[in-house]
Amino acid sequence: MSRAARLSAIAMREALSSANFSERRAEIGAWMGVGASGIAMEDVPAIVSASIEEGAFSVQRLGDKGLLACNPLFTFQTLNNFSLCHGAILEGLQGPNGAFFSRGSGTALALAEAVHALQSGECDRAIAGGADTALHPLTWAELQRDGFAAQGLVPGEGAAVLALSRAASPAIGLLESCVATDTKHLEALPSDADLAVLAPWGAPARAFLQDLARSRYALAPVVDVSLALGDSLAAAPALAWLVALDLLQPGQRTVVLTAGIDGDLTCAAFSKERQ
Amino acid sequence: MRRAVITGAGAVSAFGVGLAALFDGLAEGRAAVGPIRSFDASTFPVRVAGEVPIAGIEAQWLARELNGISKGAEIAHAAAADGALRDRKVAFALLAAAEAWRDAGTPPGLDARLSFAAGLEQAFLEDLAPLWTGHSVDWSKDAKAPLPPTRYRSTVDLGPRLVAKLLSLRAPFFIHASACAGGGLAVAHAATLIERGEAEMVLCGGTDSMVNPLGIGGLSRIGAPSPRNEPDACRPFDRRRDGLAVGEGAAAFIVEEESLARSRGARIRARILGWGSTQDGYRATAPLPDGSAARRAMELALRRHGVAANRVGYVNAHGTGTPLNDPAESLAINGALKGATVPVSSIKGAVGHLMSASGAIELAACLLTFERGILPGTAHHRELDPDCPIDVIGETPRRAQVEVVLSNSFGFGGQNVTIALGHPEAAA
Repeated sequence: MSRAARLSAIAMREALSSANFSERRAEIGAWMGVGASGIAMEDVPAIVSASIEEGAFSVQRLGDKGLLACNPLFTFQTLNNFSLCHGAILEGLQGPNGAFFSRGSGTALALAEAVHALQSGECDRAIAGGADTALHPLTWAELQRDGFAAQGLVPGEGAAVLALSRAASPAIGLLESCVATDTKHLEALPSDADLAVLAPWGAPARAFLQDLARSRYALAPVVDVSLALGDSLAAAPALAWLVALDLLQPGQRTVVLTAGIDGDLTCAAFSKERQ
Repeated sequence: MRRAVITGAGAVSAFGVGLAALFDGLAEGRAAVGPIRSFDASTFPVRVAGEVPIAGIEAQWLARELNGISKGAEIAHAAAADGALRDRKVAFALLAAAEAWRDAGTPPGLDARLSFAAGLEQAFLEDLAPLWTGHSVDWSKDAKAPLPPTRYRSTVDLGPRLVAKLLSLRAPFFIHASACAGGGLAVAHAATLIERGEAEMVLCGGTDSMVNPLGIGGLSRIGAPSPRNEPDACRPFDRRRDGLAVGEGAAAFIVEEESLARSRGARIRARILGWGSTQDGYRATAPLPDGSAARRAMELALRRHGVAANRVGYVNAHGTGTPLNDPAESLAINGALKGATVPVSSIKGAVGHLMSASGAIELAACLLTFERGILPGTAHHRELDPDCPIDVIGETPRRAQVEVVLSNSFGFGGQNVTIALGHPEAAA
C-alpha cells in the first residue's frame, strides 16, 4: 500500500466511524482527490542498483535482474486510484465513485461530484476527500524542477475525508456549495463569510488568496492551513475543510479557498445552524 | 431533458493511428498483438504487447498528424523540447483528441470542457543513473544532470493538459485516476456534465501506455499478463486463457448536448443512454468472484434512463482473458441481462489491454456496431470456458443491427463502470 493510500484508509475509517455510517456500507458512494503514484522509495534504489551496468542504466539488466530486486506488487503501489480503493476495500464501500488527480482543483471536484450524487439520489450517503504526499522524493523533485519549491511551497502530506449525508442530524456542518473555477472568474464564490480558511500551494497562491479573502470577506478572520501543515497537494483542500468545520460556529458561514499549481481556484462554503 | 450524444471520435491503437484503422482491423477480424519493438524487451518475462506501430515519436511527424489544428505544430515541438514525448501516451492523447475534434466539425470558439483518463506517470529510470552514488539516489545532483524538463517520470496529467492547450479547453479539467475504469468513467462523467447543464461540449476519453520497461516489468511481476509471449497471449472467455496482453493507445470523443448537436447539423455517432459505477470493495488483486458489483454497474447504466434490458443487442466486455475476470464478468452479464442470450465480445485479444484507455478504446469499438452493422469478434477465442456461459462472439465478427450496446470497464482496485450506448436513432 502506498503512503497516500494508507493515509487515506485511516481517514476514511475515522470519517465513517464518526458519522456512524455502519449500516449498508455497500451503498455508500466515494470520491477522492488523489496524487501521483506512490512507488515505495526503497524499491527505487533496489531496481536501479540491479539495473546499472558499467555506470549506465541497462534496460536488459532491468528485465533480467532489476525486476526481481523489488516488491513484486510494486505496480499496485503506483496505482493512484488505490487512495480510493484500499479504503473502500477495507470498509466495504461499493457505491458510485470517482478518483480525480489533483494539483489544485481535483479534490474539490471530487467533493462536488459527491454532492451531486447525493442531490440526484444516486446515493444517500457518501464520502469525499483527498490524500497525497509531497514528501515522496520523486514528487518533490518534480515540484523543485517546476519551480514551486523556489516559490515557497513547503512539502506536507496527509489525508482528510468528509462523511456526507442528505439528512444527517446532528451534522457537523452544512456544505452550502463547492465550486472550482479559475482566478479570473470569481462570481461563483459566496459574497460573504464569517471566516476564511486558506490552503494555498506556495507563496504566489498564498498572496493571491490572502488578497482575495481581504477584499471579498473584509471582516472575516483568515486562517492559513498550509502555513501550519505544509502543502499536502491533493490532501490540502480536504484538510482545510476539516479545519473549517472544526472552527465553524452556529449561525456562521466559513469559506475554504484553495489555489493549486494548476492555476485553479476552489471554494467550499460551510455553515452551521443556530442551536 | 438534456441528453448527451457522441459527435466525434478519434482512436490510436495497435491497428494504427485513426478510428478507421481500428474499425477496419476489428471488422476484418484481425489481431495486432505482437513482439514489443519500442524497447529491447528480450530479457523481460513479457515480450509481446498490443503496441501502437510507431517506433519513435518525433516532433515533425506529430506536427503533421495534428494538421488542421491551429496550435498543432507549436504543441508538438514544445512537447518534444520538454521531453514530454518520451511518454508515448502523451502523443496518443493529442492524436486521438485532434481526430475527435476534427471529426465533430467542432465550430471555432466553442466553449468545451475536458474529462480525460490519463493512466500513470511513465518512469524514466535511466534518468536516475547520473544521480546514482552506488547505493542511493543523490537528488542534489538533479540541477546539474543533463536531462530534459520532463525527467525521472512524466506527470499524470501531462497528456490531458497538452490536449486542453491544443484545443483551448476550459478549466478546471477532470483528470480521472481510476486505473482500467478511467476511460469509461471519463466518458460517463462527460455525459453527466452535459445532462447537468455544466457543459455544452466535452472532450473526453483516455490515453495510456504501459508498454515501457517499468510498465511491462511491473505488470509481469504481478502475474497479470499471459506468460506465453505469443501473439494470442490474450484469449478472453477461452478455456485456455492464462492472462492479459498489455496494450497501449488512446481514444477520444466529443460529447455534446443533443439538441445543440442536431441544430448545428453535427453527425451523431451514438447516444449515451446511461452509465453506472460501483466498487467491488473486495480485494486489490482480484475481482469480486460473484460479479455482483459489476452486475450492479450494468443495471445502473440501464436504469438511469429506463432502458429495458431486452433492448441490449451487444455487450462489449471488459474481457481481460485472465482466469479470474472472465467468469466473474460472465456472472455479471447473465445477472444484469436476466439470462438473455446477448452476443458478447472482448477486443483485448486484438489490441491488448489499454489500461486507463481501455474503456475509451472499447467504446470506440462499440461505434462500429452502429456504423457498419458489425459486432467485433473476440480474437483468439476458440473454446468457450464452461465457467463463462455467455454467447461469446468468436474470432469472426458478426453482422447484426443493434439498438443498444453496453460497454464494461473494471479497474485494478475494484472500480467498475458500464456505459449504455444507443444507435443514433434509438429512442431514449
